[in-house]
Amino acid sequence: MERKTVLRLFAIATIFVAIGFIVCSSCKKAPKIERPIKVGIIDCYSGPPAVYANDALNGFKLALNEINKEGVLGTKIEFTKRDTKFKVDIGLSMAKELVMREKVDLLVGTVNSGVSLAVSDYVKGEKVPFIVWIAKSDRITGAKGHRYVFCTGENTAMIGKAAAVGLVKKPYVKYWIAGDDYEYGHALADGIWNNLKKTKPDVKLIGQSWWKIGEPELTPYITAILAAKPDAVIFCTGGASMTNILKTVKTTGMSEKVPIFIPTATDHAVLKPLGPEGPEGVMGTSDYLFYYPDTPANKTFVKAFKDAYGEPPGFPAFHAYITAHFIAEAFRKAGSLNIEKFIDAMEGLTIDSPVGKVEMRACDHQAVLPEYVGVTKKVPKYNFVIATDIITIPGPETMPTCKEIMKEREK
Amino acid sequence: MQLGFIEEDGFQMEYVLTFGPSELACQLLVGLSRSMLLFIVTAGLSLVLGVLRVPNIAHGSLYMIGAFTAFTVSTVVGGAGGFWLSLIVAPLAVALVGLVAERILFCHLYEREHLMLLLFTFALMLILGDLVKIIWGAEYRSVTTASLLQGSFMIFGLPFPRYNLFLLIMGPLVAVALWLFVSKTKIGRISRAAAVDREMVGVLGINVSWVFATAFVIGCLLAGLGGALIAPTVSITLGMDHTIIIEAFLIVTIGGLGNMWGALIGSLIFGITHSFGVMFWPQFAIVFPYVAVVIVLLLRPRGMLKSVW
Repeated sequence: MERKTVLRLFAIATIFVAIGFIVCSSCKKAPKIERPIKVGIIDCYSGPPAVYANDALNGFKLALNEINKEGVLGTKIEFTKRDTKFKVDIGLSMAKELVMREKVDLLVGTVNSGVSLAVSDYVKGEKVPFIVWIAKSDRITGAKGHRYVFCTGENTAMIGKAAAVGLVKKPYVKYWIAGDDYEYGHALADGIWNNLKKTKPDVKLIGQSWWKIGEPELTPYITAILAAKPDAVIFCTGGASMTNILKTVKTTGMSEKVPIFIPTATDHAVLKPLGPEGPEGVMGTSDYLFYYPDTPANKTFVKAFKDAYGEPPGFPAFHAYITAHFIAEAFRKAGSLNIEKFIDAMEGLTIDSPVGKVEMRACDHQAVLPEYVGVTKKVPKYNFVIATDIITIPGPETMPTCKEIMKEREK
Repeated sequence: MQLGFIEEDGFQMEYVLTFGPSELACQLLVGLSRSMLLFIVTAGLSLVLGVLRVPNIAHGSLYMIGAFTAFTVSTVVGGAGGFWLSLIVAPLAVALVGLVAERILFCHLYEREHLMLLLFTFALMLILGDLVKIIWGAEYRSVTTASLLQGSFMIFGLPFPRYNLFLLIMGPLVAVALWLFVSKTKIGRISRAAAVDREMVGVLGINVSWVFATAFVIGCLLAGLGGALIAPTVSITLGMDHTIIIEAFLIVTIGGLGNMWGALIGSLIFGITHSFGVMFWPQFAIVFPYVAVVIVLLLRPRGMLKSVW
């Protein structure tokens, strides 16, 4: 009886080993190009940031549908996604899992700057490309940049410079800066203030306030700021806090009393939930607006996105959409799935996007994108406030020069 | 009063802040209105802690469900009516969730250790969080209040949101209603007695099970009301539960575990130190309420008022 079981186990084991051999030898024989290109997505699909991650995912899927129709090097691009839960340790272990177990060719993601920087550090050792598509810390392609990391969205340095360009013409001298107490908020504040101070040395910062992420009650901050009577206020917030601050600005009537500048406030993911109750007269920036520029290419993209997902695309969808096209074009240009060749192809690559040609700058791997500075206003066409009086600041003007980047990296 | 100092924060900031009594008074009112909201939520938590001895971590999730339900009601009905209706429907809906949870799950667990209950309610928080995500999705939601409560009015020469005034009225109303419940109704008196000595109440032949169910449902009702009341002032998102529950537990701890008036005092300490912290030292405002908690616990380790535990 016992012997029989042992024999049976032995037989099963032999069969498994045999299958293993067959599978392995077949994969060795197969030419590399016949396998699909595997992209690993790490992003936050739970909690409040999921709204941005899902928007990006939809943009990526839409682009893949277009790309896979004609194929890349005779194969297709596939993706696997993992949830980072907005945590650095989870994001990092998910990235490792995708690289080691799923054997992805490259990684893309994520909404969190901290996760992006940690994963960027990891892929540097593994020599796996990582394309950041929402996170906005300028350290990703700036001080902490390297050969294997790319960024297809705006960053805090670009927003800061765009904001400074928008604000420098205004007569304000006494500023107050307030925002979310984390990497993004502080990076944004530094970006704006350093640029503003450089272009207009007489500006004064009379105070700052920083609240924890997701702080629900912002009224005391606003009343305290109003008591200090600044000429203008800059809020450096993101995500759910953005909606909270805009609501508080509206209920306290702050926007009628003091000029307010909020980077990225004109994004419709922020303004849409507020509906017609969104505050008017708030200055903000965005690197993508679905209603501007009103070009045929942008209209086609917006229509395709709306048909597929029922909503117009936000900036994350646009970033993810161009990310997919960058990946496809770079592999086509490289002519193989070799990663080093892929990176060489990415450097300086220019693709057609819904807002015109976008270049991947060779020196720092940062996509060259225009910034739109606008003022919120109610218009009859939409049931939420949108950006109007838009000034477009072309990409090269908002970006630090290659020289500046290299100096940052040497530090 | 004048505060002036120069800080080298990479910014070379010149920080000169001036404020007089009117700014201080306005800031006090803003802090009080936040305290009222915290009181409504923590009173429910404290009631459940006191009567049932359950540290209900899922209380924050119930508050979140209240906010999401308020969103659904006010968007479906629309207008001012939608807002007022949401203030009634959301607490009732949350109370119903609470009743179901109590009868099916909690009522079997009262005799367990606190650690077990802690783990159980923590699990419930995760489950309810995911349920909210399945039902309402991950997008940010926003509720519009009645036009009567929109905007602000001038007080001491400074703008004060009308909605915060409404909260200043709602807080005392809820406090009075709770006082009437615990001191004037039979079930309230029994639940007070049960908080002090559970076994004795059982020995007297009172059906403790239903007393507990009632207290739990009222606790949930308050969580739902808190959620519905905060809905118009914030973006309604997943993660609201985590934010509130930490503050709520701190408040019931400094007030005295299970003591409802302790919850009121704790909320006042928390709300007011926060709003004055924001005024005096805005860069480090986050820590002020927590510093207050530490001071209170150092001086009175069992909380401001008598703990029933």
